[in-house]
Amino acid sequence: MRRIERLINLIAALLDSRRPMTAAEIRTRIAGYQTDNVEAFRRSFERDKAELREMGIPIEVVKDEDDVDAYIIPPKKYYMPDLDLQPDELAALRLAADAVLGVGDEATAGLRKLSLDAADDAMSAPHVVWGADVAAEQPLLGPLLSALLEKRPVAFDYESGDGKRSSRHLEPYSLVHRRGNWYLVGRDVDRDAVRSFKVSRIRSSITPDAGRYEVPQDFDPDAHTGVEPWELGEANDLKAKVRFDEKLAWWPQQNMPRLPLTDGPEGSVEVEMPVANLEALVSWAVGLGDSVEIVDPPEARRHMLDHLGPFLAAP
Amino acid sequence: MSENAGRLGRRLSRILLLLPYAIQHPGTTAGELSRKFQIPKNELINDLNLVFLCGLPGYGPGDLIDVEFQEDRIYIRMADYFSAPLRLTPGEALALYAGGQAIAELPAMEEADSLRRALVKLGKALGADLGRDEAAAIKVRLDNSPERHLQVLQRGLSEHKQVEIEYLSSSRTEATTRNIEPWGLVATLGRWYVVGLDHLSGEERMFRVDRIKTSRLTDAPAEPPAEFDAERYKGAFIGREDQTVVTIEISPQAARWFEDYYPVRAARDLPDGWREVELLSSGDRWGATLALRLGDQVRNVQPASVLEAARGFAEAIARRYN
Repeated sequence: MRRIERLINLIAALLDSRRPMTAAEIRTRIAGYQTDNVEAFRRSFERDKAELREMGIPIEVVKDEDDVDAYIIPPKKYYMPDLDLQPDELAALRLAADAVLGVGDEATAGLRKLSLDAADDAMSAPHVVWGADVAAEQPLLGPLLSALLEKRPVAFDYESGDGKRSSRHLEPYSLVHRRGNWYLVGRDVDRDAVRSFKVSRIRSSITPDAGRYEVPQDFDPDAHTGVEPWELGEANDLKAKVRFDEKLAWWPQQNMPRLPLTDGPEGSVEVEMPVANLEALVSWAVGLGDSVEIVDPPEARRHMLDHLGPFLAAP
Repeated sequence: MSENAGRLGRRLSRILLLLPYAIQHPGTTAGELSRKFQIPKNELINDLNLVFLCGLPGYGPGDLIDVEFQEDRIYIRMADYFSAPLRLTPGEALALYAGGQAIAELPAMEEADSLRRALVKLGKALGADLGRDEAAAIKVRLDNSPERHLQVLQRGLSEHKQVEIEYLSSSRTEATTRNIEPWGLVATLGRWYVVGLDHLSGEERMFRVDRIKTSRLTDAPAEPPAEFDAERYKGAFIGREDQTVVTIEISPQAARWFEDYYPVRAARDLPDGWREVELLSSGDRWGATLALRLGDQVRNVQPASVLEAARGFAEAIARRYN
């Protein structure tokens, strides 16, 4: 018997069975496994379980009355719930599936499940002129999302910005995509504080920790990730004043609407910015060219000259 | 997962999807299934012949899945447990949800309301009942790109009209005016860009929407290409022939974050812990600004023309601080 037939038999049996089946029952009753070689069975069963879980099939382990591990696929968790999606909503999701870059195949596969009953034309691709790269092909996002939805704590190795590696235990609250990167926000159990972790700096696979948790009602993901690079750092409570000359006065008016703006000399506009990292502030200002000047504080101005130093001719 | 296992997983996923459809639509045809699931007829018949051999323990006539072909029509019975599709995998859900959130931000999108309603339902299906806000589980935040420019660009796209923009290119201090023929909008590296034919340079260009100072819809016609492949513009990069290859060495500290934000084409570690990275720059200016932003975290900037440009910018900026 081919392996794919054995897998279909396993899904059918665990999904249709009213009570969980032990490994011994699976070995003796499910077609494709039947063998007297317990060790050989164990190897193929482990492999099959991993394969099916990877596909999103919820094989759960429970203890039976004799305290032996037994397996079942709970129908509630297997079947797609009826979302009652209207034709216009499906069409809109079709746009999303066509626009998402890098994982379009997965989006389309998901959409098929959602639109099994839709007429064929609802699935025909429109001419889409948008693309959204949300870096969704990162392999850790799937396991993190599963943990987050089931509210199961996780553990992983993390490399922080200064290059130090440590093992972290987290109750994941939210996945946030910002500036082209994914961040995992949650309660760091060891530090008992909400922290945010860049998913690309996770250096291990995601392993489950024991227990369950609740997300606090007042949790706000924006409060933990909606910060600019110059707001992240060690410097305390600095306020910088940055001047945009006449030619670039439109920039802060258009792009920094939440910060206080005042008119400066000669048609310039000055913006007051909270700053915790002078190097990040200087680097940002350099990127906007010589129409931008950090007016205050003096240490930021010194920092700018130090920063430019390697590119300036010796006096 | 091995390649073979990946293929097996895909085939199994497909079977678990076409079975519910066939069960719910008794008398469907191979042609219909093949069209709907975009698989060749012969593969479809192979799938059905395989299902025919599977079923429940006992595996007698009353336990096996019953697949019956009547001329062209297909009837599948004895498989009620496969009569609804498998829920979304986390990867599928994330792809749809994140993609949908990104484009729902476009201001002039007619379908935005439908999309938001769909995302709420999708969120509920995921069990994302994080208190009041289903959307809090996955959140895509793009930098605030000025809506008024996005609106004008979207009209240019849908009406095939040229758009006049005043644009601040990297390291220029004054916006330059140009007409562009918009081809598409791409969100990458957390921001919106417009891709199109730039009449000023006569080339295909990508413009950051937040660097547009003014935008105006013109009456001049635009001729976008028949197909727009947004995938080409990931990482804000256009693979043109005439770009400058910029090579820089970055410090160990900078190396930790650099590749998350810049489209690095090639990289290698150096013996002293620094890292050599290679990027493409259209002209010298972009590379020069990048080097200058890195300050003392960069060394050995190549080619010399990029280093010279960076020195020029540094002098101009430093004049304001002396």
